[in-house]
Formats: sequence, structure tokens, C-alpha cells
Amino acid sequence: MAQPETAPPQMAPAPVPAPVTPAPGVRIDGLTVVYKTSAGELPAVRDVSLTLEPGSITGIVGESGSGKSTLALSLLNAVQPPGRIAAGSVEIDGLGDVVGLAGERLRKARGAHIGYVFQAAQNSLNPLKTVGKQLLDLGRSHDVDDLRGLVREAKELLGRMGLDGARVLDSHQHELSGGMRQRVGIMLALVLNAHLVVLDEPTTALDMITQANILKIVREVHAERGLTTLVITHDIGVVAEVADRLAVMYGGRLVEQGPTREVLGAPRHPYTRGLIQAIPRLVGDIDEARALPGRPPTLATVPERGCVFRERCALRMDICETDDPAALADGPRIVACHAVGAKERT
Amino acid sequence: MITATGITKTFKQRGGVLAGREVHALRGVDFSIAKGGAASFIGESGCGKTTLGRIIAGLESYDGGEIAIAGTPMTPLRPKQRQPHFRKIQMIHQDPYSALNPTRTIHQTLQAPLALRARQTGRSKQWMEERAAEVLSLVGLDPGSVLSRYPHQLSGGMRQRVVIARALTVDPEMLVADEAVSMIDVSLRLGILALLKDLRERLGVAVLFITHDVATARYIGDDGELFVIYRGQVVERGPVDTVIADPVHPYTQSLLSAIPVLHGLEEPGEQPVVPLESLDESQADAGCLFARRCPFRDERCESELPLLQVTDGVPQEHACFHPRSRSVIARPLSGV
Repeated sequence: MAQPETAPPQMAPAPVPAPVTPAPGVRIDGLTVVYKTSAGELPAVRDVSLTLEPGSITGIVGESGSGKSTLALSLLNAVQPPGRIAAGSVEIDGLGDVVGLAGERLRKARGAHIGYVFQAAQNSLNPLKTVGKQLLDLGRSHDVDDLRGLVREAKELLGRMGLDGARVLDSHQHELSGGMRQRVGIMLALVLNAHLVVLDEPTTALDMITQANILKIVREVHAERGLTTLVITHDIGVVAEVADRLAVMYGGRLVEQGPTREVLGAPRHPYTRGLIQAIPRLVGDIDEARALPGRPPTLATVPERGCVFRERCALRMDICETDDPAALADGPRIVACHAVGAKERT
Repeated sequence: MITATGITKTFKQRGGVLAGREVHALRGVDFSIAKGGAASFIGESGCGKTTLGRIIAGLESYDGGEIAIAGTPMTPLRPKQRQPHFRKIQMIHQDPYSALNPTRTIHQTLQAPLALRARQTGRSKQWMEERAAEVLSLVGLDPGSVLSRYPHQLSGGMRQRVVIARALTVDPEMLVADEAVSMIDVSLRLGILALLKDLRERLGVAVLFITHDVATARYIGDDGELFVIYRGQVVERGPVDTVIADPVHPYTQSLLSAIPVLHGLEEPGEQPVVPLESLDESQADAGCLFARRCPFRDERCESELPLLQVTDGVPQEHACFHPRSRSVIARPLSGV
């Protein structure tokens, strides 16, 4: 039986603990991740540089095959074979370059420093064990001595998110609704006191009202616990609601990044523009919205040389065929486009 | 084309502690769609919208009410007799990845229904080939490059077009599209919606559109009707743009308030409505179905069930004792 959830307005006001560990900063530099295929090693993420400021929420937006999930997994150094990190570094404050970590040190870093809420949080729980048992497994595998304390912390977190902690810990996954499971996923990511949290498609397959609830929780928990948060999504609306900074991925490249409101209000890269124009809107002239022509590239169809977006681009020039546009900074905004670069410089 | 009156459907829980408990998936839903018309149903998961789509497509039985397809009532007919009628109504599922057989080329996928059609009408193999190419062109695909491919060689958007092409092989009069774009990449979504609108205009195919994403409902045609369904009851209905711009039922207002605001491009509505609790099917059925979650309920709402009605000064039908306009949806920022 689904247990009744409590919506935010009725949430018990939780004590706001002063963050013990300051939110870590993350510097991804020149990261390239390749997958081994019959056609050789193909890059899913190519030469990506991205800085997550301590205490910020960054949103990465991309369509299927853009490399956004691979990029997120790189933060945990968890890219599975046939994939591997081929170049670049991921520096996390207090942890160093995770690309160099391996074995036991890497395992401890996950969970204790980095919490990951997986894309399929709806399906990432063990159907045979109660949530509480899975929590204890997590505690034991990370050598937590005070398991009672862990359970207390878990209940507090669940309570903070509007759930009855004791009942949820006693439940199997099939007894929880999608929105409740998503909150359990967030609890498991935070309960070991991680201060860097990655949420991969946190609201996919959830209803609008549940989605709004989860996004509110993400924002509040982020602020209260002093986190650095990375949200990966295909949905610009999700990023618009939670993220301070927005990064747009296409064909394994970061094509544009900047403060969310600025990027949405005045997108510069032709892909970002097209993507925003393609969103069905509630008001206004419906003929203004337009699908992007063509389709997103896959691992096999990403061009080896030149701009990854050129085949769908209205501003294509000769140089786009041969040269990969560099990511150029203009204040807080970074754009990788020959057409935009030329215009801005002159 | 199709008229549904008072459709009801109740599911009984089968095993477990809830055995025998009844879930009212549909509590008397009325609607009709003309040839080439459009109707959209929106609501949370579990509200009954998918069940309605399955019933209309003939994939699920109904307990009460009547469906008339092109004037012929279905209830008096035996299941076998209903078949040719329901064949005019084709379903487009949410997931284009599982809707196509991965071991068959697109050519093989289209030939199966065409062979049936050819047998029935005594047409040739030549006709089947021509028709396959024709339906692919209708959905904006190039037959030459697509026919020999397997589903995994196509993008999600192309697969959904193939699914629609397959539905068109039987010359349907209506398509039931259940969350048909929610798994399609954002940049391609609008293309599929535009295709549905185009099929309405060019072929006169009616569309029953089922979604939780309200904005997409506008794109299959602004002449369509929007139905907001909650726990099996239609709580608000009217022209798409009227209901979106000026909703009066607190449930519609909650749904619209929950849509993410594109900060930088839009500003949030001034009077967002947040429901008090989340959907709980085990709630008692006395009074308004939304009362427990409604921030504006009063005593009457807890004891009496409001029915879909028209009241003074409200252009759309609604099932609320206290209909009131509230500014809930985001507005475009001026100057952007």
C-alpha cells in the first residue's frame, strides 16, 4: 500500500545545520571519454572543461547520446568498460584528481564525498530488501561504526523531504510511489554526508506535480546542507527551475555554458537557440515554436573533425567543416561556435 | 467520428491485502471527436487517462456507458463484430523503442498489416509496396533510405514516425496518441506534434491526445478540446487555449502551476496553486474527489460531489463549487 506523502506546505520545519564540510568545488579539465566499438575508440565526451563552483547548482542539458550521463559518471571515475577516460582530469576539492583514484580509495570516495542519484532511481533499489536493510548495507560497506546514527540521519533526511522516515525504511520499493523512491535515492546519496551530489534525470517519469515537489526539495536540501550539486537532464525546464548555471551538451561537446537566466534569456549557440525554440510553450503564438531540423548525432555519426552541430546549423560556414570551434569565454558565458565567436569579436 | 457517453471502468484488486478493493478508473466520461478533430486529456498518472485511451482503441473493455464509432453503438455488438469498427482507431504508444519488432526491417513491419489489408480488398503485391512507400512519405520519412533499415538504426523520432506510418496502413479515422512524444528528444518532439496536426488537416484523421505535458496539447491543434481528468472524473473541459490561459478548477490550476518556469524567458504566475497532499487512491469517495488536496475546500466540498457543469461567467465546463480564475501559468517576460 502506498503510504501517504506529505506535501511541502505541511513539512515539519527541519533544523538547519550549519554545513560542517564546506561545499567542494570541482574542476573538469579537457576531459575525453571514449568507448571501444567495432569502428575503433569513439569519443562520447570530447575535450570538456567545466567548473562547478562550491555551493552552486549546475545543470547539464543534452539530448540522448549527447554524452551527459557519461560526463556525470566520470565525476565518480565510474565509466564502465568498454568506455574509459582517455584524457583530462576531474579535480574535486578535498579529494584530488579522481581520474587517478582506483581500488579501495576510489570506492570510499564514492558515497562519502560524492553522492549519486541514478537516472533510474525508480528502479535502482533492490526489490527484495527493505529500504532500511539497503541503508545498513550501505553503512557497512563504508565502515560506518555508528549504524544507529546512520538510521537516525536517514530518518531525519526522509522527514525533511516530507516522508515518514520509519515507515519508508520498513518498506520495499514496490510499496513506494515514484516520487517517494526518488526521495529515497536522494536520501541514500546524502546519508553518508557527501557534499557533492550528482542527480541524473531526477524527475524523468514523474508527474508534473511530483516533479515540482522533487525540484523544490533538491533546491532546499542543497541550500540547507551546503552542497555542490550537478543535475543532468534532457529537460530545460528542470534546469531552469533549479540551476544557477547551465551547460549545454551536444555530440559529446559542451557547446555553451553560463548563468541559467542569461543563457535562457539570450542563448548564443545556434543549438541552444534551436533547443529553446523547440520547447512547446503554454502561451504565445504556437507557430513560433519550431523543431530543429535533422537529428542528434550518435557515437557512430559524430563528425571526427569540425563542429559537431554543423549538419543541423543554419549559420554553418566553411571553417565549421574542418575546425572544432574553441570554447571562448566572454565574462561568465562560454560559447563554442565559429559563427558566434566571429560576431562577438568584431 | 466517435462519441463516448458515460464511460465507466472499475478495476478490482486481485491478490494481497487489498483484494476486492475497487479502483474507479473512469467515472462516467463523455466526449466526442468529429472527423479530423482533436481532443486532449491531461492529468497525473493514475488519473484514468491511459485506461480511457485503451478503451477507445478497443484494447480494453468498459463497464458502463456507450461508444459509438461513426454512428454505430459498440455495446450491442459481439467482440468479433466490434473489430472492424475499432480498426479505424489506431493506438500510438509512448515508447517507440518497444513498439517495433527489433528483428524486422521497417519494410517487414509495414508489410504485415498491408498484407491483411490487401487480402481483404483483393489488391496486389505491387499495391502493398506502393502503399508502404506512401505511408512513409506521409510521415516525413524517405522510403528509399528507411525501408531496408532495422529499428535500432533509427532515432527515437524516426521510430515514432514509423509507428505512425504503420498505424496509417489501415486507413484509420482516428489516432489515439498516449504520451506519444514524452520519450522523444526535445529537439524532435515538435516535429512529431506537427505531424499529428498535419495528418488531421491532410487526411482528416482525428486525434485523441493523452499527455501529462499540457503545453504539447496546444500543438496538435488549437481548435481542439482539452479535458482535465482527475481520479476518473473530468473536472474541467473547454477549448485548449481557454482552459490553459484561464483555468477555474483548482486541480487544473495545480497542474499548470507545477510546470517549470523558464526563468530568464518567463516569469511565474502570481497565484500558483500547490495541492495539499499527493494523489492517494485509497481516499474515501465522499464529496469532491479533489477536496482532500484542495486548498480552497469547504464543508460542502467534503460531502457533495460537484458534477461537470456550466456556470455564469465561465466559458468552459467545470466540476467545482467554487470556480475562480487564478493567474497560474508563467508569462513571457516582456522584451525577450
